[in-house]
Amino acid sequence: MSVISEMIRNLLTRPVTILYPKEKVTIPPGFRGRIVVSDEKCIGCGKCAVVCPARCIAMVDNQKEVSFKGKQLVRRKKPKVKLFKCIRCGLCERYCPADAIHVSSEPALCGTDKDAVSA
Amino acid sequence: MAHVVIPVGPQHPALKEPVNFRVVADGEKIVRLEIDLSYNHRGIEKAAESRDFIRVLPLLERVCGICSHSHATCFAKGIEELMQLEIPQRAQYIRTIVAELERMHSHLLWLGVAAHEIGFNTLFMWTWRDRETVQDILEEISGNRVNYNMNEIGGVRCDISPEQAGSILKRLPLLEERIGEYVKMAKSQRTMLMRFCGVGKLSRAEILRYGAVGPTARASGVDYDARRDDPYLIYNTIPWNVVTDEDGDVFGRTKVRIGELRESLGMVRYCLENLPGGPIRVQAPKTAPSGGEILSRYEAPRGELVHFIRTNGTDKVERLDIRTPTLANWTSVAAALVDQNLADIPVIVAAIDPCLSCTSRLVVADRKSGKTGNISWNELRNGVCRIRPGSNRI
Repeated sequence: MSVISEMIRNLLTRPVTILYPKEKVTIPPGFRGRIVVSDEKCIGCGKCAVVCPARCIAMVDNQKEVSFKGKQLVRRKKPKVKLFKCIRCGLCERYCPADAIHVSSEPALCGTDKDAVSA
Repeated sequence: MAHVVIPVGPQHPALKEPVNFRVVADGEKIVRLEIDLSYNHRGIEKAAESRDFIRVLPLLERVCGICSHSHATCFAKGIEELMQLEIPQRAQYIRTIVAELERMHSHLLWLGVAAHEIGFNTLFMWTWRDRETVQDILEEISGNRVNYNMNEIGGVRCDISPEQAGSILKRLPLLEERIGEYVKMAKSQRTMLMRFCGVGKLSRAEILRYGAVGPTARASGVDYDARRDDPYLIYNTIPWNVVTDEDGDVFGRTKVRIGELRESLGMVRYCLENLPGGPIRVQAPKTAPSGGEILSRYEAPRGELVHFIRTNGTDKVERLDIRTPTLANWTSVAAALVDQNLADIPVIVAAIDPCLSCTSRLVVADRKSGKTGNISWNELRNGVCRIRPGSNRI
């Protein structure tokens, strides 16, 4: 009887459930969590806003001098991400030419306000 | 004896998704089943027409929460065929690995749900525990447990590193052992045999008449699998077998799914061990050719999935029509329920692994004249419809 042997085996092993908050689930590298924008690297090209399927990235006015591929240039805009509208598909990260926007491994927060934006 | 009509749903505590069953019963025996679908219409086909090929894939993944990779791959391979784009071997292998892992997690989920429906909740907990291993592997590869977003037109988004491949290969023997346990359990466990054997039986002729697909059809001896009969990705180059069964009942469908678990595991192992080098994507053109039409077929875990794609020379589709496997299987459920016990409804319905929100479509039908049609944008805006909406009763 495979069910009984399985039951006995389960009795002799630790529970599979993790006892949160004493133990925490390890988040694998490459996990798609919250979006992080690097203010130093962003050149304000707006490609992330164009590819975003959820339309959660808006380009807002922000003038700053940044370096891109060894050249100095002045950006006009920077992305503003609506955190709870983001579906964390990672397309912005994939298409960013300056490696400035990332889906970090930090867990994304939950919320109901779809217009709440990152700092 | 007079027939009794038992209405179930659309809102009902036992239903996970909204559907309306009207069960006509004669005492304990079911005489007929009437189904009303489409309480969960989301307008994804229409929304797909307004998104370019980059932005449409995350949307299509959300057609289904279980077979998300299936929808994205089915669409991507259709568009790639229209663009006459040959994707790199490595990308094809990675797509296959994710597809087969997805099939494993879907079948393990189904086994748990079927056990739950017959009141065998212990097995439900065991299968879902083992499914976590598959989910963890998928999360490591793609960064997400449900919507993997692996595909893009021209290849895949992320690569599998040698370390990742090694770590996955290490975990496969444990899964193999667990699947072996389920094979033994399904053969010898009295609870399962009593509730699955002879329940919801469909003959091969009935399956062919109602056009059922996937494990439902294969359990009745229909030797058909889109992976073998209309090969895509690398299925015609790797070793695997189509699993069929002659029982035709819920027990047969269980055996087919457990058999497919084994085959999928073998395929994942083979692909990881023989993963070719090279790029994972090629640059795809921005637009698809004008006037292109394609019927892209894909063997999703629940059965054959079909995407009809029409392109018009832009970077968006002109029309996308999705035929999900559940839609093809519904009619067979209505036939399988006839003459069965009322208590067997949950397990017979669950045996096709129904995904209700995937099947929701809107067809406006007039019962008297028999006319059917779609609603135009203007009619939607003005709230007036030419044809009065009726029920799409099966």
